[in-house]
Amino acid sequence: MKATTSKLHRTEERNAWLFIAAPILGFLIFALVPLIYSIYGAFTNWDGLGQMTFIGLENFINLFQDEYFYKSMYNTIFMMLGIPVGIVLALLLALGLNRGIPGTNTFRVLYYIPVVSSIAAIAILWQWAYNGDYGLVNQFLAIFGIEGPNWLQNTSTVKPALIIMAVWKGLGYTMLLYLAALQSVPKSFYEAAKLDGANAFKSFLYITLPMVKPVTFFIVVTSIIGGAQIFAEINVMTPTGGPEYSSASVVFYVWQKAFGNFQLGYASAMALVLGLFIFIITLIQFKINEKSSFDLD
Amino acid sequence: MMLLLVMVISTVLAGCSSEGSSGDGKDGGKVELQFMFRGQPQELEAYSATVKRFEESHPNVKVKMVQVAPDQYDTKLKAAIAGRKIPDVFFYNPAQVKAYVNSGVLKDITEFVEGSEDVQIDDIWAAGVAKYRFDGTTLGQGAIYGLPKDLGPFALGYNKTMFEEAGIPLPDKDVPYTFEEFIDVSKQLTIDKDGDGKKDQYGTGFNVNWALQPFVWSNGGDWIDETGTKVTVDTPEFVEALQYFADQQNVHEITPSISEAQTLDTYQRWLKGELAFFPVGPWDMAAFKEQLKFEYDLLPWPAGSTGESAAWIGSLGIGVGATTKNADAAAQLALYLSADQEGQQALVDAQVQLPNSVTVADEWAADTSIKPENKQEFLDIIKDYGRGFPAEKTYTAEWYDEFFKNIQPVMDGKMTAAEYVKEAQPKMQKLLDAAIEQEKQAAKK
Repeated sequence: MKATTSKLHRTEERNAWLFIAAPILGFLIFALVPLIYSIYGAFTNWDGLGQMTFIGLENFINLFQDEYFYKSMYNTIFMMLGIPVGIVLALLLALGLNRGIPGTNTFRVLYYIPVVSSIAAIAILWQWAYNGDYGLVNQFLAIFGIEGPNWLQNTSTVKPALIIMAVWKGLGYTMLLYLAALQSVPKSFYEAAKLDGANAFKSFLYITLPMVKPVTFFIVVTSIIGGAQIFAEINVMTPTGGPEYSSASVVFYVWQKAFGNFQLGYASAMALVLGLFIFIITLIQFKINEKSSFDLD
Repeated sequence: MMLLLVMVISTVLAGCSSEGSSGDGKDGGKVELQFMFRGQPQELEAYSATVKRFEESHPNVKVKMVQVAPDQYDTKLKAAIAGRKIPDVFFYNPAQVKAYVNSGVLKDITEFVEGSEDVQIDDIWAAGVAKYRFDGTTLGQGAIYGLPKDLGPFALGYNKTMFEEAGIPLPDKDVPYTFEEFIDVSKQLTIDKDGDGKKDQYGTGFNVNWALQPFVWSNGGDWIDETGTKVTVDTPEFVEALQYFADQQNVHEITPSISEAQTLDTYQRWLKGELAFFPVGPWDMAAFKEQLKFEYDLLPWPAGSTGESAAWIGSLGIGVGATTKNADAAAQLALYLSADQEGQQALVDAQVQLPNSVTVADEWAADTSIKPENKQEFLDIIKDYGRGFPAEKTYTAEWYDEFFKNIQPVMDGKMTAAEYVKEAQPKMQKLLDAAIEQEKQAAKK
């Protein structure tokens, strides 16, 4: 009797380990090993073809003197301007949809379609829309007598053009998160506020905003991490990095160095710096969040 | 417990490696080759058919085709190389010959090519094969590391119908325009047809990335000197040609203005019949045959101070991976794809490329049923005066790309050519020096 139990236990235990092993192995093989490999690569002059030679900090020294690294960093941060815009728009949309207006479900689906669509397909679509000659955007502007620029070929319009597209693509996802958050706010709070004589704006300011704050925090953190890694839309819409390299992001530059110029070591160094940058920014956000939560209580 | 983990790991790893080796193993006594390639839909079809014919005539060989979308091709290929899973046969860019040979990615196929009974190497364009020869120091000499998939001479086309409507004599197919004549004719063809104050038709509209080279070269300038060590964009010949190119828009106004259109869109204007002159590559012929509602033909590019026309020849190579276990079969496939007459005919019929075989090409050029009429211009570029891109000589192309990165202000007339090259030359030189250094390092290994 005793023996059977332990045998059963053993089988269960073995099965449990097997189930756990799958994701752990996946992580080890597809995330940790490449990660360590690329950290090591950052200190070599690896060209992606031959041997790796250790060169110390040379890549990093060159990196901090590289004007295109700064330029792509600037572009990346500039394009994050779309994040607050997207958050505000998504919250407004969610508020609207939360009021139970007719057709809510249809709107939810409509706003969510871009989120699940392939980024390459979307980029090609917008590339066409932004075309200076026959693009949809300029045809629309022409109705009002405005002669639109050639969006993607112009240093001053290429970044805003990419931002608009990114905001449009991300809207549905953010909106859905907010919608869920809004629906979990107890109705009694609003009723109590109403009794105390608060108007709609005040309820929004003192009840809605604080209640959805955890969601806002989540969205800000994930958007910044995602924004720092923007690549596909840039690669498809401005394959050369845009006029005067004005739309190249850090990841785009990393990719060009690694696969265009046989400088995988240098590219790894850049990726490492970007990774640290994201880590620090995220850390700061967590610190700020901690502090302000404390203040609220 | 550890044992279990080890077992699982080894099973997973074994799974990986058995999958990885399927490309080079023997399948029931058959030799299996992996062929990685890219192309337009018509090209892919033509290549698949050619590969099938190869399999029929080589019953012991099975070819596993790996098609990759053109914009992802380079990344995929380099990832495969970095992971040491080099395809047996693959397309690659001639600018990468040096790097791939130095790091042992490409196989020397000279003996297979020269010893082939099916294909005569003399029948493939010498200029094409030369792009894939490398003796360790100089390109164009020594061992053969690949064969041209095709050659892409970029010729100048003109809208014949537009000339006839305007009553302007057709350009001579043998004598190039001078720079001044080209502007003159273009001005005559830049007109507002319906009198609404907006121009409906222009002389031309070139993309600086792809059309500046003929102007610079025919004016005696170049991006790099003969030794391949000095960037020469700051020479007077170069500056003059670049300024001339920019002035087409800013001074002579023979192109759509900045607000009307930029680079990409002039292709659409040419298709619509709004441009008199536009570059034409062999790969355009299929699309033009279907879409153009006017007659077009080819002429030599305008000639600058040297008095001679210039043009570039692009190319894509077919190489054999150094790690292949079936070098003989792989080399045969590469040869077949590059030069087999039947295979060539299929690709030529699809109107996506020129024949690689000199014999087939001459017949093709003489065939008046295929438009444009003056296809001989393509062959002249290959035979007489075409050149490779400046970056083909160097280890990486970064220095060359740098030139085009910041060129827009010159095109917009906000900066003169002389000012620009003064700024660009040192930056380009620095990148070229780095590429040379990188090459030395790679050669040491």
